[in-house]
Amino acid sequence: MANRIKVLLSKLGLDVHSRGLITIAKELRDAGMEVIYIGNSLPKEIINTAIQEDVDVVGVSSLGGAHLTLGGELVEEAKQEKLTERMGFVIGGVFPPVDAAKLQEIGYDAAFMPGATREEIVSSIRKIVSTKANRSF
Amino acid sequence: MNEKKPKTKEILQAVLEDRKRTPLYNREILEKLRQEFERWRNTTVREEDRENWHVTPHTILGSEIPREMLYTPLSNPDFDYIEDLGHSGQEPFTRGIHANMYRGKEFTMRQLTGFGGPEETNQRVKFMLAHGATGINVLFDLPTIQMYDSDDPISRGQVGMSGVAIDSVEDMDLVFRDIPLDKVTVSLVTHYPSNTAILFPMYLAMAEQRGIPWEKLRGSVQNDITLEEVVRSGPEYIPPKDCFRIQCDNIEFIRQNVPLWNFVTYNGYNLREFGTSGVTEMAVALANAIATLEEMLRRGHEVDWVAERIAFFWSPASDFFEEIARVRAVRRLWYRIMKYQFDAKSPRSMWMRCHVQTSGVSLRREEPLNNIIRAAYQALATVLGGVQSLHVDSYDEAYSVPTEEAALVSLRTQQIIQTETGVTEVVDPLGGSFYVEALTNEIEKRILDEVDEIERIGGYVTAVNEGWLHKKVAEYFYNERNMIEKGLIKLVGYNTYQSPVELPPINVFRYPGGVEGKQKARLARLRERRDNEKVNSALTGLEDACRRGKNVVPYTLQCARVGCSEGEIFKVFKKAFGLWKPPVLW
Repeated sequence: MANRIKVLLSKLGLDVHSRGLITIAKELRDAGMEVIYIGNSLPKEIINTAIQEDVDVVGVSSLGGAHLTLGGELVEEAKQEKLTERMGFVIGGVFPPVDAAKLQEIGYDAAFMPGATREEIVSSIRKIVSTKANRSF
Repeated sequence: MNEKKPKTKEILQAVLEDRKRTPLYNREILEKLRQEFERWRNTTVREEDRENWHVTPHTILGSEIPREMLYTPLSNPDFDYIEDLGHSGQEPFTRGIHANMYRGKEFTMRQLTGFGGPEETNQRVKFMLAHGATGINVLFDLPTIQMYDSDDPISRGQVGMSGVAIDSVEDMDLVFRDIPLDKVTVSLVTHYPSNTAILFPMYLAMAEQRGIPWEKLRGSVQNDITLEEVVRSGPEYIPPKDCFRIQCDNIEFIRQNVPLWNFVTYNGYNLREFGTSGVTEMAVALANAIATLEEMLRRGHEVDWVAERIAFFWSPASDFFEEIARVRAVRRLWYRIMKYQFDAKSPRSMWMRCHVQTSGVSLRREEPLNNIIRAAYQALATVLGGVQSLHVDSYDEAYSVPTEEAALVSLRTQQIIQTETGVTEVVDPLGGSFYVEALTNEIEKRILDEVDEIERIGGYVTAVNEGWLHKKVAEYFYNERNMIEKGLIKLVGYNTYQSPVELPPINVFRYPGGVEGKQKARLARLRERRDNEKVNSALTGLEDACRRGKNVVPYTLQCARVGCSEGEIFKVFKKAFGLWKPPVLW
């Protein structure tokens, strides 16, 4: 199944809220993607796992306010490892709309706020992968 | 031995079957009414409504209990006023735990507060008190909740977010600076048994330093295994049996030494918000309370000695009448459990005292001002149900921690309910409503059925350990998400009545800068200043107590006194108990 999208999902840092990310994990799997869920991790560990597992997309979740601090660190790490060209980076959680725009500015391919639907998330991930890896789904 | 022990449901059923009922309605009149009702249904009610007589409201965190189109005495033909309701302040306390309810004591307006460093939170606490809040409710930041120090690499970028950063007694003292701890009641939102065992001793050590006797301290902690082992997503967990033991150690120590303190607040709230119905929320809290009482009896304590200080915490969601009925139903069920299963003698042990917080997950990001209305209805429902204290969520919480302005609207919502609507003048105003009584009965029955399900698995700790609860919750919230996406659960401004135009943005809270640096510096000074020999011996003493099964709290208290940090204390728990992997939820 070379054409199957492989996604790594993680909670950023110490955020306690996992309902959203667990739901996304199930939904992406139901949409035919391969999902690796690693729970709470720091940016460096997330990037290391992403490299090891050679995933197409890294998705992180933050509802506790660390979207810019740890979220920013994650894209920095990704850039250092030169991953952003071939790997998609998406983030979801509770943050103000201006921060959603900012997250996209600093390098996220998508930033999902409360209310994002399954359809929006799945199609956005497919689009990101087809652009970056030049694969169609 | 566990197999043979009678279950809660069996005990209650046996007792209630034996009790003589005196139905309020005359049998003959009811029979006439039944005939008249059938005639009305067949002649006046539209066929379409007759066929869809029962409709199930699909609401956020709802229980999916079908409702009739019209409730009549026939919905509850055996209604026995004395047995089912009693007057307020009388057994079975369905109508309220006090005779005069809010005429005698207003509900406590206890808004959650906590962000940034202790100094910032202290300012916000004072702001809320100055605007008429009648209780304090302090929430801790993510590293503090998860029990890591502000200078731990894992805390980077998260210090002072979602709550206030506390590393040691010194921070605790700063949060409560200028606040008379012998006069106000303080709720410390120490969700877990582990962090209760660490943070509450810091509070006690602070009181010692100020010369306030512990007997004068009033307030509550949460101290609930459900939050540490089920609701939380975190990097490290201790095993459920050890967590449960710490929950009971906290209860025992606090009961013995801080007599006016509520040592446990069974927290249905976070579980329901994580994703479960209002029935499961209450069943789980009761099952945990039952398990705790059994353990305390095993430790040789009297049931009333423990039960008088038990408190509960609920999440009221969107289904207005369900929320009113739920509070009444669980109050009656708790009375029955305490009276018939545990043979409690003190009325106070049979009182279900509860705090509520309006539902966070019911808040929408779209058109955030609508959230004020949502929270107000939820708050009103619980006041009609007769709760003791309240937090109203703020309209901007789908974006961030509330601004001062939004926090004030929440407090004002409570004050408007209390002073402008007149609802607090009459006790249990919906008591006797055909609908509310039928729903109260149904909910009580369903809660008891779920308590029974947990007991049949082998009790509460087993239900957690084996992942039964984790799976139940995951199934519920996955299903709820599907119902929202399919439009079965309708949400105004989101999947129905969407705005055709983009509305202007609201002000959003910004975390104060520099908190992490300040906390790290304060910790560094502490580590330099304190007597590290005493620190090491306190930590070793704690480890020994953990391993030998002694109550851990006198030892965590000693740690707090000599200046151990939260992370240092939690490390001992991890070392002594080992780590546990919770079940995978998807």
